[in-house]
Amino acid sequence: MILAADPLFKNGVDGEVVLIVIGKTLVVFALLLVLVLLYIWFMRKVIADMQNRIGPATAGPFGVLQTLADGIKLFFKEQSIPDQADSFVFKLAPYLSALPAFLAFAIVPIGGEVSIAGHQTYLQLADPEIGVLLLLAMSGIGLYGVMLAGWSSGSKYPLLGSVRASAQLISYEAAFSLAIVGVLLWSGTLSTRGIVNGQAWTGWDSFATQWYWAPASIAFVIFIIAAIAETNHPPFDLVEAEQELVGGFHTEYTGIRFGIFFLAEFMNLITMSAIAVTLFLGGPSGPSLGFLPASGTVNAWIMPCFWFFLKLVILLYGTVWIRASLPRLRYDQLMDLGWKWLIELAFLWAMVTGIIIIAKQQDWDLLLVVPAAALGALAVLGFLRLCMPKPGEFMDEVY
Amino acid sequence: MNPGWDFHAIAPEIIISATIIVVLIADFFFQYRRRFQTSQLATIGVLAAMVPVVTLAVNGGTRQMFGGAFVVDPYSLALTGFFLAAAYVTLLLSVDYIGDGDYYQGEFYVLLLTSLLGMMVMTSARDLITIFVALETISIPTFVLAGWRKHDPKSNEAAIKYYLIGVLSSAIMLYGMSLVFGLTGSTLLRDIALAAPRTPHTSLLIVAVFLTLVGFAFKVSAVPFHFWVPDTYEGAPTPVTAFLSVSSKAGGFVAMLSIVFFGFFAVPDTWQPALWVLAAASMVLGNLAALRQTNIVRMLAYSSIAQGGFILVPFAVAADGHAARSSFEAVVIYLLIYGAMNLGAFAVVIAFARRTRSAEISTYGGLGSYAPSFAVLMTVFLLSLAGLPPLAGWFAKFVMFRSVLDAGTPGATVLGVIAAVMSVVAFFYYLRVVREMWFHPVPDSVNPEPVQIPLALNAAIGICAAIVLIVGIYPQVFARIGELAAGG
Amino acid sequence: MAEFVIFFIMAAVALGAAISMVLARNPVHAALLLVTVLVAIAVMFLLQDAQLLAAVQIIVYAGAIVILFLFVIMLLGVDKSESLHDPVRSQRPAAIVLGVVGLAELLFLVGHHWATGTSSGPGLNDGSGGNVERVARSLFTSYLWPFEVTAILLVVAVVGGVVLARRSGLPPQQELELERDDDDTEPDAMTESTSEVSAP
Repeated sequence: MILAADPLFKNGVDGEVVLIVIGKTLVVFALLLVLVLLYIWFMRKVIADMQNRIGPATAGPFGVLQTLADGIKLFFKEQSIPDQADSFVFKLAPYLSALPAFLAFAIVPIGGEVSIAGHQTYLQLADPEIGVLLLLAMSGIGLYGVMLAGWSSGSKYPLLGSVRASAQLISYEAAFSLAIVGVLLWSGTLSTRGIVNGQAWTGWDSFATQWYWAPASIAFVIFIIAAIAETNHPPFDLVEAEQELVGGFHTEYTGIRFGIFFLAEFMNLITMSAIAVTLFLGGPSGPSLGFLPASGTVNAWIMPCFWFFLKLVILLYGTVWIRASLPRLRYDQLMDLGWKWLIELAFLWAMVTGIIIIAKQQDWDLLLVVPAAALGALAVLGFLRLCMPKPGEFMDEVY
Repeated sequence: MNPGWDFHAIAPEIIISATIIVVLIADFFFQYRRRFQTSQLATIGVLAAMVPVVTLAVNGGTRQMFGGAFVVDPYSLALTGFFLAAAYVTLLLSVDYIGDGDYYQGEFYVLLLTSLLGMMVMTSARDLITIFVALETISIPTFVLAGWRKHDPKSNEAAIKYYLIGVLSSAIMLYGMSLVFGLTGSTLLRDIALAAPRTPHTSLLIVAVFLTLVGFAFKVSAVPFHFWVPDTYEGAPTPVTAFLSVSSKAGGFVAMLSIVFFGFFAVPDTWQPALWVLAAASMVLGNLAALRQTNIVRMLAYSSIAQGGFILVPFAVAADGHAARSSFEAVVIYLLIYGAMNLGAFAVVIAFARRTRSAEISTYGGLGSYAPSFAVLMTVFLLSLAGLPPLAGWFAKFVMFRSVLDAGTPGATVLGVIAAVMSVVAFFYYLRVVREMWFHPVPDSVNPEPVQIPLALNAAIGICAAIVLIVGIYPQVFARIGELAAGG
Repeated sequence: MAEFVIFFIMAAVALGAAISMVLARNPVHAALLLVTVLVAIAVMFLLQDAQLLAAVQIIVYAGAIVILFLFVIMLLGVDKSESLHDPVRSQRPAAIVLGVVGLAELLFLVGHHWATGTSSGPGLNDGSGGNVERVARSLFTSYLWPFEVTAILLVVAVVGGVVLARRSGLPPQQELELERDDDDTEPDAMTESTSEVSAP
């Protein structure tokens, strides 16, 4: 079944195992919530610094409890449902958008293999064989939250926002999946645990030789761009472009329902960053402390988690940086980037990767094969550019 | 686990696939005025694909791939050749038709060639999944082709009707196929043939086979699954109609041949009664409805339903007596001859429509007086469809009746009598057009000034007429092909 | 045992959602119920150890196809009364009678051998390795040929879609003149209805 790859289930399922699984679920859920709270605070602080402001400072030390206070406030605010709204769908939509974000986080390996109450288990909620496909499935389901929120509000700005959102998400889903293919070709497995195991730390050169960001470099860039677009993060936040759409798909939402959308958005961002760490940056892999026993608490529990969260924080800092510095794209630029560049590049990259892998297996001369493959890819890219109409030109005007 | 490619065996399919891509991309680069050149590329591709068909036929023998899911034998080669020839004639018919209107687009040829590819895959498919994919590859491009004239509501209606019913029939067929897989544990027809007689769930097998056949019955427009035919044939561009009525329909029959003869031949109870009813109903309803048509395309639509019924007759008697071999031959030969004469009839209709922009039978009045050559050719094709010797149609009817005689059971005899009566009925509506052409005055609305008929159209008519006449007088040509196909 | 329980729960969910989908008066609700059916069936695939199929079911059907349905429903603003209007009322009893006859016939022919009770042959799960690997192996060996043909089919389906969606084969300038010439052609349905926002 879906959890079968975990060594926890080797000796059958008893009460203890069930308890461990429930415990893991609760911990992961709480972890994600805490991460969101901290991330929002972190983001506001960093942006404030970049803009020469102070940012939240009152609630708690350095204002770290500000988000918690905001959340509590949202809980107690009145929730209104518009007259024209489809109330069932209206109430359902926030959960449809938050649940997939959490479920997708379940496949992220946070640490290595540890032992809890005598049971060996992975520090991750689930390791299904289909691994990253679950992520794609969940991002597909998450789309419903946005679409239905916009539609069920019964008002035009939310509808426009949700139509924009769905078009954007569907467009970037393709590039996103194809970028993942760039990694899967190297790892040879869909399971996140398998992908992380393929990037194990063998020495300081592992940074470039083991981790997939280097052999899948272009896929990494495409993944980052597409992931930012998938999470509706700036500069791809056309979904809630305030100047054009009031507030986007959640214009009519108030109180905690609005809060859940907010939560879902940041949960998605953190999940995507965690997936990027898993796929490209080795997940929890990193040097362990050599002077301590390899299977001791520090090296089995703490160091992998430390490396994982360090990488996660670095990526999240990058997202904040992007948020603070890049202006929003125009809609046609967004679509051009997705359809005319990212998808093509990701396709060609997957093909070049495949050629290189075959060349390695067949023992061909890599010095010949790699440039030939790259040149071929460039030629195809140039050819496709030639076929495409120039900006502002209709397909039929190419006479 | 190398699948073991035999590139010679799939060379025709590869050539057509390459042509599809080349035509698709070439369309981007040709100047608008020179875009008709894509049609030349398509034609070259179709002709080039005939070369490996010939070399494979000369080499002889049977080639297999993918564990028997793909087979090249005389039967598949004969039909591949037929589909290529039919596609070539259709291309000749379309060149000027598609170029003339306000709806020229190079994608026409891409879609036509893809449908052709599906037919070629179908001829060598011996596996349910391949058969399904091939059928979809035949159908999906034709949905678009039927709606080619986007400014014409009739064409839109044609496409919508065809699409909806086509998709529905695919769903039913898939359901049947999944039941077959569940009962026999394989998608290979060879394994199904072994497992089908042994399954304890005979009643479920009947349901499975019936549902599978229903899907193809839509495709070959057998009554009572024919509702889309008249409207779609009338609304679609006429070259597309010709293609639908010949190639697409033959594709369905080929799938039926493979499934019935290679898959379920050992369990005739599951398919024979259903096919008997389909054959009888198609012949009766098709022929009687054709009597009342005033539009020639609609008349040909019903006539093609009726002809489909005639082709179903050998199926329905295949397992009786010693009819197995002769009925297989009969289907193949009938398909080849039907293709030639029906394409020819449509070619004349297209040529005539260039003059009058009309497809009403009444406008054919006096054609014999001002365009005798066309009137003669049209007469030839119609009389051949009716089955009058010495035109090819008589031989098609002959092999059909021969399989009925070989079967010799009461059921087969009844079906044979129905076929005979309906062949006589068919004379009435075919001859009505002939009478209109030769014995009626020119109607006022028609201008009897001669019109330039493009060379391609003339060539198409010429090819069809030649086949109809040669085979009619010297039927051994096709008889030999049929024998080889059945011997494989 | 757990498998049995999950199967019956999911079967009940799938059937209930399917029936409500047909009966739903609001097209968006119908689409949502369709997603429920698809997800329930994905769970059944999981029960059968067909993990890849389950994932593909959700990604392709729930994540792409029904989303496009919703897209069309939202943009075109399908009206409740319009979509359910049946011009030929007399068809309804006839359809019910035919459906009942068909069902009875099916049950009779099946002869109480429920298809779920019997196991088929060895099927495709003979090799070693995980589900994804086995599917990949049979897809790229025994079913390679239909797989490749499907690739061409999908490309051509896109081409066909573009051809139908594009307004004609004419250059845009001529196209405009043509539309000016015959004003009796129906107004462009697409642009007209996008301005209407569908109220649920």
